[in-house]
Parts: sequence; C-alpha cells; structure tokens
Amino acid sequence: MLHAGRMLLLLVAVTGPGMWAQSAELPEAPAAQQPSLVADSGAFDFREAMRQQSAPLSSRSQQPQSNAPSLDDLGLSPNQMKPDPDLQARLDRRTHMLKVHQELGLITLAPLAAACISSAAAPPDPRNGGGNTVGRDIHVSLGSLSVAMYGATAYYAIRAPRIGHEPARGGIKIHKYLIYIHAPGMLLTPILGAMAFNQAANGERVHGIASAHSAVAWTTVATYSASIIAVSWPIHLPFHGSK
Amino acid sequence: MMILWVIVLVFVYGIGAKAQADTTFVLESSVLTYHMSHPVHEVDGVSRGAKGRGVCGAETCDFLLAAPVKSFDSGDTNRDLHMLQVVRGAEFPVVVVKLKIPMADIAMKDFECELEVQFAGSTAHYSHVPFHQEINGAEHKITGVVPATLTDFKITPPSFLTVPIKNEIPVKVDTMWKMQ
Repeated sequence: MLHAGRMLLLLVAVTGPGMWAQSAELPEAPAAQQPSLVADSGAFDFREAMRQQSAPLSSRSQQPQSNAPSLDDLGLSPNQMKPDPDLQARLDRRTHMLKVHQELGLITLAPLAAACISSAAAPPDPRNGGGNTVGRDIHVSLGSLSVAMYGATAYYAIRAPRIGHEPARGGIKIHKYLIYIHAPGMLLTPILGAMAFNQAANGERVHGIASAHSAVAWTTVATYSASIIAVSWPIHLPFHGSK
Repeated sequence: MMILWVIVLVFVYGIGAKAQADTTFVLESSVLTYHMSHPVHEVDGVSRGAKGRGVCGAETCDFLLAAPVKSFDSGDTNRDLHMLQVVRGAEFPVVVVKLKIPMADIAMKDFECELEVQFAGSTAHYSHVPFHQEINGAEHKITGVVPATLTDFKITPPSFLTVPIKNEIPVKVDTMWKMQ
C-alpha cells in the first residue's frame, strides 16, 4: 500500500497538472455544459485574459474537436431539426407544377395578344352584308385557344400542393388578388363574344351586355399581364445600377 | 490519508485549469442575410432565428451557429418556398456554421477564421474568411460575409425567364455574442 502511494506521488510529480487538464478534455465532458470560472464576472477583461492565455500558445495548431459545441447545446427544437422527406416531396411537386404554370402562363400571352389584334377584323361590317366572317372566325379561334390555355395554366396552379398556412406576402399576394379580376373576365369574355356574334349574325346591332365584350376582354388581358409582372416584382433593371 | 488529499488536490486543480481554459459564448441575437442576384432580380433573405454557442479552449475558440432554413424570409412567401425546395430545406432543415478562431485572434478587431458550413446536404469549407469584431464588456459583436456559392453545395441554380441566378450567394453574418 505504501509502495503504491509512493508510485502515485511520483506519477503526479512527473506528469503534473497538465495531464489532468488534458484528460479533462475528453469527449464525454462537453465544455459547453460546464460552469466557467468567469461566468459571473461581468467586468472581466476578456481581452487581457486572452492575451495572457495566448502568449505561450503562439502556434496555431488545430485543437481536438472535443471542446466544440454541438447542435444539442443550442436548444433548437426537435421539430426544427427533423428531416421531413414528405414535405420535400410536396415542395418538389409544387415547384414542378408551378414551373409548368409559369411556362403555360407565358405562352398563353401569345394567343391572347393575337386575339386582341384579330379583334379588329371581328366586328360585323354592314357595308358588305354581315361583315368579315373569316376575320371573326380567326378571332373566335384565337380567343378559344386563349381560354383553353388559360384553363390549363390555372389547373397547374390550383393543383399545386399547398405548403403551410402562412398568408401570402410579396408579389404573389397581388398575383393572387388579380385572379379575382382576370378569372371571371376570362369566363365572361367568350360568353359576351358569343352573344355579340349571335346578335351580329342576326343582323342586329350589338347591344346590351354583349357590347361590353371588348371592354371586358381588354380588362382581362390587362390584369392578366399585370399578374405576370406582379409575381416577378420587384424587377431590378440592370441599367438602374447593380449591387 | 495524505495520498487521498493529494489526489483530491490534483483533481481540483485539474478541473479548475479546465474551467479557466473554457470560456463559453452564447448567441444573444443574430441577423443572417443571404443575397441572390439575377439580371432582373436582387433579393435578400433574412433570418433572425439562429442559435449559437462558442467555447474557447486552450488554443482555439469553436463557435457553432445554426439556423432553420425556413427561417429565412425574403419578403415573398412564394420565393421562400421555392428557395426551401431548391436547397432541399425539408430534408436538411438546418444550416450549420462552424467557426474556428485561433485564441491569439479572439480579442482582435479584425481576424480571419476557418469556416465549415453544412447546408443543403453538403459541407463546404472556407479558409481565411475575414471577420470584424467589436467588444463591449462581455458582448462581442462579430460580423462578416461568408463567400458561399451554389456550386459549393451542389445546388442547381433556379432560373427566372430561363435565365439562372448568379452562382454567388454571399451570406452576411451579423451576430452578437455574450460571454458567460
């Protein structure tokens, strides 16, 4: 027993406290959890203390990672850290569907613009007994194509998965508000157009609600274009300077 | 009996030395801002939801900063959800930043540090990233910019009007740490 005690004293004398300090840095003793001697010293001069500590440690060798704090030390909730593959799948599907929505929406601008242009040839012309039926047919075809493509565009937006219940913010909010104008407009325009067509075909002057066909169509096109700009807002023009 | 006292003293000394070497920092507040550039868009996404902790050992200080990816807010919910999808934020919900600062630099106003960023399922390392520090008592305000790029994290750049965004997505780090 006495011999063992001497050996222990010898061991302590040879290794010194440094060894104990090193062994205290084992991984199972996370430093972040341990109380610090300077914890309550509000007026502690950190700069000075660091200078004193760093003086003999001029080398910048990498310290073992054992002292490094871990994610568990931060207090993030398990919900915040938990992977959700199902949510990722829904996000992927959402992005895919909204990309199709975006592409179809931009393509729909072409028949819409063509329908607007061809509308000049659509009204009945009493001078040649009934008007330009070819021009009217082209206009009707382009209008129908526009409505069909608009429907397909809307389908991809409606069917895209909803993520979260947070109210919309930013350009998407205006994009959604404008739906309340161009969606009814897109339904109403062909109906009014058909009414106007029938009145003209019967040799009547276009009258009543059918006479609003043109105004409703232009309002629809304007709000539809505005909704495309809104979802892209704010637009940073390169010639206005860059960050 | 004397041997027991020696052992106790050595233990006490060892633990004391260890505690002196380990100074901890807790993140009081933070603003992390990523910047995204596109020919017709300049977007900043801000997170104030980061949590962090720092531990100073004998030679280095290790800081750990983590923020939920979904906490970044660009002011547009549609864009934020798209960002979340592109960076696979549901599969990898937390962006983790590890800073390693040499002890010799910890009190300096300007210093460089080694960074490790875990994001979107990839880990990127950045060396000699300059940071600036303002010390006010126990409070350390540390600011800097992480020169992140999309390719660092194998992120396919999202596009608008068929034009992809720029590869550079610098992240401005503005943190306030309190020494404990």
